[in-house]
Amino acid sequence: MEQLKIKHASAMPAPTWSWLRMNDTEISLPAALARGGDIEIEAPDTLLDTASTFEGALAELQEHLDAKRANATDDRACVRAAQMDQEGAGGRETSDGSLGDLDTPALSRYQKRATLEEVAGDVTRAFETGIGMDARSYLNFAAGETVTIATEAGSTGEATIRVTGDAGTTVAASIDAVAAPDSSLSLTIALDAAPGSSDDASSNQGPAGVIGSELRVFAGAHSHVDVTVYVTADAGFVAVDDSGYVLDEGARVQVRHIVLGGGVTATGMAADLRSDTARIDIDTRYLASGSERRDFNYVVRHRGKRTISNIIANGVLAGSSKKCLRGTIDLVHGCKGSEGTERETVLIADEGVENKTVPTILCDEDDVAGNHGATIGHVRPEQLFYLESRGVSSEDAEALFIRAKLEDAALSAPDERIRAAILRLGNRLIDGFAEELEGDAA
Amino acid sequence: MPISPLLSVDGLTASVDEKTILHDVNLNIPAGETHVLMGPNGAGKSTLGHLIMGDPAYTQDAGTILFDGQDMSDLSPDKRSRAGIFLSFQAPVEIPGVPLSSFLRATIAGRPGLEMRGKEFRRRMKELCAELDMDPAYLNRELGVGFSGGEKKKVEMLQLLLLQPKLAILDETDSGLDVDALGVVSRGMDLYRKSTDGTLLIITHNTRILEHLDVDRVHVMVNGRVVREDDASLIDWIDENGFESFERAAENDAAENAR
Repeated sequence: MEQLKIKHASAMPAPTWSWLRMNDTEISLPAALARGGDIEIEAPDTLLDTASTFEGALAELQEHLDAKRANATDDRACVRAAQMDQEGAGGRETSDGSLGDLDTPALSRYQKRATLEEVAGDVTRAFETGIGMDARSYLNFAAGETVTIATEAGSTGEATIRVTGDAGTTVAASIDAVAAPDSSLSLTIALDAAPGSSDDASSNQGPAGVIGSELRVFAGAHSHVDVTVYVTADAGFVAVDDSGYVLDEGARVQVRHIVLGGGVTATGMAADLRSDTARIDIDTRYLASGSERRDFNYVVRHRGKRTISNIIANGVLAGSSKKCLRGTIDLVHGCKGSEGTERETVLIADEGVENKTVPTILCDEDDVAGNHGATIGHVRPEQLFYLESRGVSSEDAEALFIRAKLEDAALSAPDERIRAAILRLGNRLIDGFAEELEGDAA
Repeated sequence: MPISPLLSVDGLTASVDEKTILHDVNLNIPAGETHVLMGPNGAGKSTLGHLIMGDPAYTQDAGTILFDGQDMSDLSPDKRSRAGIFLSFQAPVEIPGVPLSSFLRATIAGRPGLEMRGKEFRRRMKELCAELDMDPAYLNRELGVGFSGGEKKKVEMLQLLLLQPKLAILDETDSGLDVDALGVVSRGMDLYRKSTDGTLLIITHNTRILEHLDVDRVHVMVNGRVVREDDASLIDWIDENGFESFERAAENDAAENAR
């Protein structure tokens, strides 16, 4: 089948050696898919009948930021260097061959771009999503229109977006979420696709199709935003979940990515902690079995002072699955007192899996903290002894982790449809999975 | 003809990192009895419990561990568990990503008479939670993660009642617990004894947990050796006098042997 390729997707902001093949990924999509599938948006009219727009929210934030830094000057050497380069002054060397101003440093391409972006302080231009522009364009095209979900100041709202894929089709939702100051907004996005009514339970391979979502979130001052994305598609589907967040002062954002199914999944999110004391917590849980592929890219830019981020991932890889998780915490100049943490725990249940974990901390500020850690491997010896002492053998212990990933998601599923999708997926992997969970609270 | 004990530890010598920590330990526990293993910190009490369970962190250098007539020495801990041995941990581990209910299902899977599915399992869990004053919502939480010390011990008791082992070794189950949590642990032990007529080996250095128990035998361990064995009256004596005299005697013996 002819393939459409999204190249350099989910790129790390500061790439490492190309030969490691972890700087970015390539997403292959079947080219001949028709628009199809189904999108349901369950939200009260108060959230949908809105004049708010994502662009409008950014413009308003920009005004505040510009007013705040009206007369501030930045005379750092890197700024001089970036501006000299931009003006075509050609750097430090002069025409008479002398070295010129030795206090002006040479900048890498990355440093130059980052410095100019800092100086410009343009929120709209700096906006980014985790997978990148090409995926954004594809998903927006597939979605056809963008739906805006917005809260009023001080209000509370909840919405569920269901994207259900079909064989031979591509379906995506494009959502803008705008949380007004002091409001709370909770979004659940369910990306699901099953082979349909002619479901052959013995087959793990559904027909080809694409499901996705493109999400832009603006979290206003002191707002609370909670986003949970479930990916429960069958193995024949490609799932693309792309998002970008901008956080105003004191905003609190909680993101959960629960990726349990899908032959190929790409999850990307970028967050701009633009204003002081904003905080984002990202909790990612994934499972990959058979020959499935999981790709994650997280980019968190700390720009406001005393901002906090946590990227916590926990996954299980089985069969001959492959996974890459890139996490970049960028402590941008001016974010004094900020702290970013990324931690991943990966359980390798089979020897045939391929795991890549790429934590990156970029730092251009003092008085900040960037923490990273990863635990990759089999069940730890003290955990294994505990499990064995209760009659669970080492072989059963690793199967337990796979089962537990599904059960955990089923137990915490916010509604029956998502729970049913998880049970369907569980039944494909484990005999009698749904039957065993019968009676458990949803 | 004398009845053979349920657990018979004979001449057990064990080491960790090539350092011998248990020396020629003998211990017999007949079925249905409650035994107490006491001793000062670092005496080797927990080590003995872990060795009986088959903890691979320790090496069994000599001796035998017979359980229900079967030599346990070469069996993995899961097989010992399925043979009927249970060890309650002093510090139960945390297993992020595994809900307590998933773990409990795995522990009973394939056990004749204990395997339950769906609603039956859920109903049994609710009964046990009620008996232990435990919120059933804990079943949906990740195993041990964010649990207080008391909650972890309740989960240990829950498993004891669920698995109904022939022999339960409770390793310092009372340590670090407040009065309420101690009450729950005592109730758990009581329920276990009543419902299964089970056998208990309680490892402790504290006599409080033993107040409401009908103890058959007390073993005192010092420096990796069992130095005294007696009936329940020894508990009151230890409560009054501590372990000092046993430690002194052990030091004298060691000095004697060194000459």
